[in-house]
Amino acid sequence: MDALIQIGFALALLAVTYFTGRRVERRHYASIRARERELAMLPAVTFRQIPSGWVVDGLGVVSGSVVVSVDYFKRFLAGLRTLVGGRVTSYETLLDRARREAILRCKEDARQRGYQAVVNLRLETTRVSRASNNSRATAGVEVLAFGTGLELRRDPR
Amino acid sequence: MQYDPKLPADGINTSAEHPLREFALLVAGLIGAVLALIAIAALAVDRLVPLVPPSLEARWFGGWLTDAAAASDPRSAPVQALLDRVVSHWSDAPYPFRAGVIDEPDPNALALPGGAILVTSGLLDRVGSENELALVLGHELGHFRARDHLRGLGRGLAAQLVLGALGGSGDLVSGLSAFAGALAQHGFDRRQESQADTFGLSLVHAEYGHVAGARDLFAHLARSQRDAPATGRRLASYLDTHPLSEDRVAALAAEAAAHDWATEGPLTPWVRRPDAE
Repeated sequence: MDALIQIGFALALLAVTYFTGRRVERRHYASIRARERELAMLPAVTFRQIPSGWVVDGLGVVSGSVVVSVDYFKRFLAGLRTLVGGRVTSYETLLDRARREAILRCKEDARQRGYQAVVNLRLETTRVSRASNNSRATAGVEVLAFGTGLELRRDPR
Repeated sequence: MQYDPKLPADGINTSAEHPLREFALLVAGLIGAVLALIAIAALAVDRLVPLVPPSLEARWFGGWLTDAAAASDPRSAPVQALLDRVVSHWSDAPYPFRAGVIDEPDPNALALPGGAILVTSGLLDRVGSENELALVLGHELGHFRARDHLRGLGRGLAAQLVLGALGGSGDLVSGLSAFAGALAQHGFDRRQESQADTFGLSLVHAEYGHVAGARDLFAHLARSQRDAPATGRRLASYLDTHPLSEDRVAALAAEAAAHDWATEGPLTPWVRRPDAE
């Protein structure tokens, strides 16, 4: 009987978190796409050189970081996936969202500080913590995006 | 150099597969694999159990009851005396059997590896005659003869092992594990029960010269099932682990008829609570 209650509780939790997790993810993606359009004119690129034809008036490190977690359902799905191997598709959207969000925040940092571009953009990912003490499941990841913000103007020559 | 603002493409770093589809596939695969492993383990146990000599079994498990408080319970002595009489008709009994009483209002009896039979105080309170208790003891002896008790233990262990290997995967898996454990505890299949019944009945006949009381036992237990208070159960009741069916009673009657055993005869009263009287 206890076992049935335990199973029922876990199934209910899976069902609820499936829907809440989906909703959270859909809203996050909508927000990411809107801000990507908004910041599209501020380039964030990975090369290290100052683009030719431009003069740099100022520079500084810019960064953006985000901590995102998956829901219980996706963590459970990933746990099942680890039994047989293969692509952990339920974590793919987590990391996709985290990378894009971090780059957006990095760009936002640059825009607020008056830079027109970010060069030498780098990404780092860190597992933040465990879901609980006796579990190997990940509670969330941090993705950090950082680079060099440039204050640019056209080279008059 | 010209900056060309393009938005990141969607769907390259993520998969289009629906999560519920993946969930269904993985869960179905997991359950199938677990059931297959448990079935294989159960088959292996069935093959291995006959290979365990009774002497080895007695050495492994023989100490279980002597250590238990049940052995020193004053109510155990009359049950042990009856058990000794019933066992005396089993010519090739593999090892000495010991009886113990446990305090438990639900009527039940269980066979433990190593030759220990535990009966609950609830069962002793409910049997209408010594003959009925003899049938219960004979039935449990039948499980020993078929080595069902080892089979049950081995199957339970195998199921726990299989599920324990997956135990780290979350609440649902540990829930399933506990559920399978409860099922394993639920005992033996119908064939094992009817074989144990048959053997128990033959011992009862050998002891009393008739098999009266057999039908009464089930009537008494069924009544107690209805009267049982609906509070939380500690142990499964006898009729839960030994499901009562018309077939079972009919099979007992048929068995008696086949051997031409008398179904009527003087019943020996069971003296309850000798310490209180």
